[in-house]
Amino acid sequence: MAIITTTGLTRRFGPITALDGLTLDLPTAGVIGLVGPNGSGKSTLIRILLGLIRPTEGAATVLGLPITNPAEYAARVGVLIESPAFVPGLSARANLVSLARLRGLPLARVDAVLTQVGLNGRDGEPVKRFSLGMKQRLGIAAALLSDPELLILDEPTNGLDPAGIVEIRELLRDLGRNGRTVVVSSHQLSEIEAVCDHLVVIRFGKLVFSGPMAEMLKRTREHIDIAPEHAGDTDRLAAALTEDGWAVAVVDDVLRVTASISRSADLNRAATAAGVTLRRLELAQDNLEEIFLEMTGRTDGELASGRAAANGTVAA
Amino acid sequence: MIGAIRSELTRLTQPRHLLTWFGLMALFAAMVNTIMVTFVSGGGSLPPGAPGVAFPTLAQMESPSGLMSGLAAASSMFGVVTLSFWALATATDYSSGLIRLLVAAEPRRWRLLAAKVVALALVTAVATTVASIVNVLVVMPAAGAAGIATTAWGTDLLNVVASAWLHLYVAVCVWGVIGLAIATLARSAAVAISVGVGYLLVVESMVKMLKDVPSDWLLGTTLGAVASGGTSAVSFGAALTLALGYAAFGLVAAGVVYIRRDVTD
Repeated sequence: MAIITTTGLTRRFGPITALDGLTLDLPTAGVIGLVGPNGSGKSTLIRILLGLIRPTEGAATVLGLPITNPAEYAARVGVLIESPAFVPGLSARANLVSLARLRGLPLARVDAVLTQVGLNGRDGEPVKRFSLGMKQRLGIAAALLSDPELLILDEPTNGLDPAGIVEIRELLRDLGRNGRTVVVSSHQLSEIEAVCDHLVVIRFGKLVFSGPMAEMLKRTREHIDIAPEHAGDTDRLAAALTEDGWAVAVVDDVLRVTASISRSADLNRAATAAGVTLRRLELAQDNLEEIFLEMTGRTDGELASGRAAANGTVAA
Repeated sequence: MIGAIRSELTRLTQPRHLLTWFGLMALFAAMVNTIMVTFVSGGGSLPPGAPGVAFPTLAQMESPSGLMSGLAAASSMFGVVTLSFWALATATDYSSGLIRLLVAAEPRRWRLLAAKVVALALVTAVATTVASIVNVLVVMPAAGAAGIATTAWGTDLLNVVASAWLHLYVAVCVWGVIGLAIATLARSAAVAISVGVGYLLVVESMVKMLKDVPSDWLLGTTLGAVASGGTSAVSFGAALTLALGYAAFGLVAAGVVYIRRDVTD
């Protein structure tokens, strides 16, 4: 059973279409990455699923229940939406107690989640004294409070130090392995690649990709990065290789040749034939970030043009 | 519902927040009683339509209800303080982003709003009690020193104190509901407080100065009449009915907006 389904989900804010007929099914259990450029509709999707805003058109279900009545599934869903929000003058514990009371949970859960996110010992301090990373931990604790089947976390590692990132990454993996479904919305693609089993890519409110992470990573291409001994030979070598039929792109004084590693000797010979000695020859492979940028646009300018085209207007 | 009220109370009981609220109520009770006793014993009176306060006559002060007359005299000030804290408690949910977490945890938004109103009303009861205690503690020695006869103050004491407390409590709760409604509409405590104080001190005073325009229906006048247990111009029953009408209008407006509006920030 899909834990989240959407059918033709659309949300317009005036002339802006934040979600444009989004249809997707998210599998139950595991960690699901939700990625897309700024303004792609990720936050709008999350808000609709949680009952914070209503769709203009379309339908959706969460845990098999329609989003028209989020009260039916709210107790089974834990959330961290954007930056963690708490009452700054209250202690971490008091903030969690307040949420536990609202959800009708036993206060023992407060101790359990404080331990789970490593905030025991600091729980008596007012939240206003917390660093961003500690607030983030508290936000995750609040999301875990009801021991939910579905966790929706927006940028969960935001502000955490490297050790904290590893810790939270492990926590998310454990939750995913233990039968829960964790939806992680993030711009940290390395994080998504490291943690997620399933990936959803949204752009301009439309689905670009939804499938297992492994399937997405199959789209990676191999490159051979080469650099001539003398930087002045770069353009000449690029021209010679292109004429020879190689696919070449110049990236920061390095020639990126789209070819498998098995052709590296041929490439070296081609460079020699062009009268250029190489000082570097290195295999490179696209990561998730490269594929993502290829799918969604590389620069703000490309995104602005795409957004304008999607909304039927002319980009400035 | 009980859980939602307890949750709201947990958020409201920040020591600094409560100390400021109760402190302001105590301060205004002490201040107005001191000034009131000085004015009344000296035979002075405020100009008609003066914003914020309405002092009793010497005869009223020396009557059994004179003991608690300071509460009614300062009711507009207590009202503005209450409006401000209800507005703060409401708008902070929006400005801090906490509203996202609350609505995600309890999508039945009417419950959140009802719990907030009940919790704020409970804290307001404590604030009203603080004002009442300070009122008694200040007015007795002040009246004695000013030569105001206080021999009648012991008559029917429990009834006088209870009714003064109840009248003030109802009046400030309506002020609070107005603050909550404006804060819900504006999502800003600053706007709500500015509108509340600006209305009382500027708009209502200006309308009162227009001799041809009846002013008995105005919010401040009505709630002042409720706090006083009725005045020569407006009976308590009429004032209470109108005040409850203001409260119902405020709650319905706040409820519709709170329940229907997108939570986007």
